[in-house]
Parts: sequence; structure tokens; C-alpha cells
Amino acid sequence: MRRALICGIGGQDGPYLARFLLGKGYEVVGTSRDATSMNRRGLQSLDIEKRVEIVSMTPNDFRSVLQTVTRAVPDEIYNLAGQTSVGLSFEQPVETIESIAIGTLNLLEAIRFVERPIGFYNAGSSECFGDTANKPANESTPFRPRSPYAVAKACAHNLVVNYREAYQMRACTGILFNHESALRSERFVTQKIVRTACRIAAGGCERLRLGNLDIHRDWGWAPEYVEVMWLMLQQPVPEDFVIATGRSVSLEYFVERAFACVNLNWREHVDHDASLLRPTDIRYGAADPSHAARQLGWKAQRNVDDVIAGMSQAAQHELARARTP
Amino acid sequence: MIMTQPKVALITGVTGQDGAYLSEFLLAKGYEVHGIKRRSSLFNTDRIDHLYQDPHAESQDFKLHYGDLTDSTNLIRIIQQVQPDEIYNLAAMSHVAVSFETPEYTANADGIGTLRILEAIRILGLEKKTRFYQASTSELYGLVQEIPQKETTPFYPRSPYAVAKLYAYWIAVNYREAYGLYACNGILFNHESPLRGETFVTRKITRAVARIALGLQDCLYLGNLSALRDWGHARDYVEMQWLMLQQDTPDDFVIATGVQYSVRQFVEFAARELGIALAFSGAGEGEIATVVKVDGDKAACKPGDVIVRVDPRYFRPTEVETLLGDPSKAKEKLGWIPKITLPELVKEMVEADYVSAKRDSLVKAAGYQAYDHHE
Repeated sequence: MRRALICGIGGQDGPYLARFLLGKGYEVVGTSRDATSMNRRGLQSLDIEKRVEIVSMTPNDFRSVLQTVTRAVPDEIYNLAGQTSVGLSFEQPVETIESIAIGTLNLLEAIRFVERPIGFYNAGSSECFGDTANKPANESTPFRPRSPYAVAKACAHNLVVNYREAYQMRACTGILFNHESALRSERFVTQKIVRTACRIAAGGCERLRLGNLDIHRDWGWAPEYVEVMWLMLQQPVPEDFVIATGRSVSLEYFVERAFACVNLNWREHVDHDASLLRPTDIRYGAADPSHAARQLGWKAQRNVDDVIAGMSQAAQHELARARTP
Repeated sequence: MIMTQPKVALITGVTGQDGAYLSEFLLAKGYEVHGIKRRSSLFNTDRIDHLYQDPHAESQDFKLHYGDLTDSTNLIRIIQQVQPDEIYNLAAMSHVAVSFETPEYTANADGIGTLRILEAIRILGLEKKTRFYQASTSELYGLVQEIPQKETTPFYPRSPYAVAKLYAYWIAVNYREAYGLYACNGILFNHESPLRGETFVTRKITRAVARIALGLQDCLYLGNLSALRDWGHARDYVEMQWLMLQQDTPDDFVIATGVQYSVRQFVEFAARELGIALAFSGAGEGEIATVVKVDGDKAACKPGDVIVRVDPRYFRPTEVETLLGDPSKAKEKLGWIPKITLPELVKEMVEADYVSAKRDSLVKAAGYQAYDHHE
């Protein structure tokens, strides 16, 4: 039986990946900085909390990482850990680079140390490309990172390349564009929009405060993206892939559709908040995921309209459940 | 008469090759120069001892502070005290081969260290006052994506050193764009001098050739002899570091000679300075260099002596085979012209190392122990 170690299982992707791997017959061990106080809502909502072993591991502490890897004896490691907010990275640049870059480095060094052919998937990010303007980014598009988060992710990405080439490690990075789901935390603008719209529709009187609406992103569905993470580690030759739907829309489009899902006109409920503007932002993020289609036979089944509908449905469902005694 | 306040510069890594040349250059320009150096149980200020000033003396334009790029509070405090107009971030774990063995320390000092300084500037409210120079490197180009390499060439780092420098490069750009800081990257190709660290291949070669010539060493062990590099003189290059901070707007520049040579050729040039003609034979790990002819009286070796061999421990897990810079942007916007050619650079380095080796051999002949560093 194959064993997988998911570092950072407490976020959005972790529970979906765990569910997917369990479905494939894996034994799954997950890590969080503090296993006892970690938020298990995601695992619980997917009904897999009892089927996963959770251990405590701090990505930027090599001793902790080495101990975790030697004890878990995994066949595959999925590194989803690290500070995940682009906005927050401007406030906490050191924590961002330590958890993302040093965290990745520690895992690579631990794999080298235990001298077993462990497959290593690293969570890369489309943020590394910066503004793609009218040229959708593919695997050879140069990085132009625009935030401390993106700089840290670029660093981690290059570490994986270097260790793969220097030591023939089975390591690769998924350069995933934005991917959302019901498990997305409300700190992320997509969930913030969807949930606020649902609350207003259910009788609430909040105003939705947003920053820059003129930013364009490729939004996909997280539960199907995690499948590609696994697929990448099954390839005979490890390689990095851009994972995306191939369609980018503006945040204004997202807001409009999210409010339309609950029969509201967004313009009546949204205020511009300048304090939410970032010091540097990406205007256009566009992807070319054709390599994954050719090489892995993978194509996103759900586009942004499905994402919005799916998130809205889940949010409404949850609101309704919270109200019933 | 109104005395204008001298400009204040802070140099991290002041004890290094560039730190020493830059300190001299800025002092000559009338700057007050502060340097950060790490504490060591051995004296580590050889390169700047000639600039040292008695701390009890009246006026002081060269001051040293204990510090470390891995220590945030230390850096913030020093910058707070010094209030520099310019910061030159030259400090780093700077040896590419060693970075494979100490990747985490390298990331911490070279990558996060740069972030710490940028954050210190912000935290202390010095964004409008302090200009920041980041020592970026041609190693960023690594597995080169085009030849020659210029400012727009994509990076492909091939060592933990290069990846850490990649982080530093982009975080400097980000802070420039996000906060309007005057921050710029000097993407300097290899630059050498008689002050170069002894474990860097060029200096390793010139030292060895001098010591072999005087019978203090038998053989020089090297790694990849075919590696190609664009080598300049550090003294030329530090001037450009300063010039980058004097522009109206901050920008990133490649500084290079635009000419490349192989390590093998560097060995030939160095040997030739002492009248030694070499022939290379064999390939890969079996390649050797044999003395063919000796002119003049500087070298005591004889034809037939094998003085260069290859030791695979010097091969890197991932190699950078070739680097060749295109400095046209610096030429156009900064008036960059490399003044010192490679043969002149080699001559200067070999002559300096020959004098040291001579001193060592005299010391030994007199019955004293000479320093015999190995790595």
C-alpha cells in the first residue's frame, strides 16, 4: 500500500487531495503546524477526518521536517504548506519566505537525507508569472513575481528544479492558477464575495468592501486540480506543468455572477475600499494549460461559471444549515 | 563657509573583495563609510586593515560595526544609528560550490538577509532617503537561456546560491515597485583581483601557479576545466555599483566585459606569466597539464612536471557551463567601459601571489613556519 504525506493538510487543497488519495487506496498522513489545534472543518466536511493521521510539523524547522519524513516513510510527499495569502505577504514577508522557500528546501534536503526515491510534488503558483498581459503563460514563460509571496514561490520553484537536476530527484512543481471551492477560507476574495452575497440574499444588510475590481484571473475548481497533482507524480519523467482552465475573467465579472446567483444586483451592495489595494498587483493573469492536456491528458472540466455556482450553492447550503436548530 | 554633510554609505560584507575596493573608492569620494562585519575568533579584516582608523582619533570617516545578515534586530539598529544615504548589500555566503553543502544558511543570509535590509529601510521610514544596491549575479543565468546574457534574459539558477540570489533580486524589484524605494540590482559577471578569496578558482589558480613555481606546492587540483566565464576586475566593477546609485531613477544593469575564456585558458595565462608553457592532455577526470618549457628564472619547475590534475570533488552537482554578458545597457546609460583586460588582470593577480609565495619561501628558508592554508 502506498503512503502519501500531505504537508499543510489544513488548508483548502489538503482535504480534497487526501480524499482523492484515500479513494486510490493510499494511506494518508497529513501535517499541520499544530495537529491538536488545527482547523479540521475541511476534513470533517468531506467525512475523512478519522481516516487520516495528522502529525505536527513546522516547515521552516529542519529537525521537525526530517523527523516527520523519517517516521512517515512516505512514497510520495505533497508540499501544500506555507503562508498562502498574497495580500498578507506584504505585511509578513519573512514568515512568507521562511515557510514557503525554506520549508520547501527542508523537505528536499530531508528526502536527500533519507536516501529513498520519494516522489515530491511542490505547490507552485501562477503568481510567479506576474502580469501576463495578452500572452497566456506556459511552462517556459519567465517569472516576474510581484509580491513577497510570489518571490518566495519563485524561489521554491527553482529549488525544486535545481534538486531535480542536481540529484535526479523525482520532484516537480504544479504551477496552479487560482483554484477555489466550498472549502476556500473567507480571507480569499472569491469566498468573501460569494458568502457575503449569500448572507445579503438571506436577509443581511452588510456592504461588501472590495479593492481593485479590474484584475483578471483564471479561476478553476480545486477538487479537480488536486487530481493533477497526483497525476504529475505518476509520470516516468518528473516535469513541471501549468494547471488552469485557460479562461480568465475580471473580478468584476466574478462579483456580478456571484450576486446574480442569488438574484442580486452587485452594484447595490459593493463599496470600493482603497485600503484593500495592494502595493503591487497583477492586472492580467492568463494561462496556457495545453502542455498538461497533451502530456497528461488532463483538461479542466469546470470553468469559472461552474466555480461560482458551486461555491454559491455550498455557501447557501451552509447558511441554511446554520439557521435550522 | 558652509560644510556640506558628507554622504554616508553603509556596506554589508565590507571585509570581502568588493567591500574593500568599494570602501577605498567611496572614501576617496569623501563619503563617511560604515561597514558591517561578522565577529570571528580570528582577525578577518586583512583586506581593509589599511583603512582602519583608531576609534579614539578625532574625526572618523571609516567605522566598522559587528553584525550579521541573519540577525534582524542587529541590522535595524545599525541602520537606525548610521542613517545611511546609500546601502551596498555585498554580504553573502558567496561560494557557489559550498552552497550545495549549506543551502539553508545560504538562503537565510543571501535571500532573507536582503529582505531584512529592505524591511529595515521601510520600518525606519527611510524610503525616501536611503538608496539600496543589491549585489546580484550572473549566476542567476545559470543554464543560460540565450547567449550573450542581458537584463531581459530569463533566469535559470543552478545552485542553492543562485536560487537565494534569485529571491534577493526579485524582492529588491518588488520593494522598488511596491514602495517606491530606490533599489537596484547590479547583475555583475565574475570579477576578480589580487584580493579575491583563495577558494575562488581564479585566485586558487594564481596562488597555486606562484607556489608551484617556487616549490611550495606540487600540483593544482581543479574541477571543470572547460567552464567558460566572463571575467573582469573588481576595481572597475565597484565603481559601477556606486554609479547605479547616482541615477535619477533606479534600474537594473548587467556589468560584464563581453568576452569569455575557459578555466583552462586562465590556467595557461597564469602559468605563462611565470614563463611556464603548459600542454593539456587527456579528458574529463583524466585531464592533466604538463610543463613543456620554462622561460626566465621565476619558476623552478621542469619540463615533464604534471602540475594540474582534475579532482572530481570540485565538480558541481549542477554546473554552469558558460556565462557571457552583454553590457550594452550599462555602456549606453552609465558609460561603462571595462578598463582592465583579462591578461592584465591575470598578470596583476599572479604578480601579487608570486610576491606572497616568495615571502613564504623566504620565511621557511629562515626556519620559520609559513601559513600553509589548504581547502
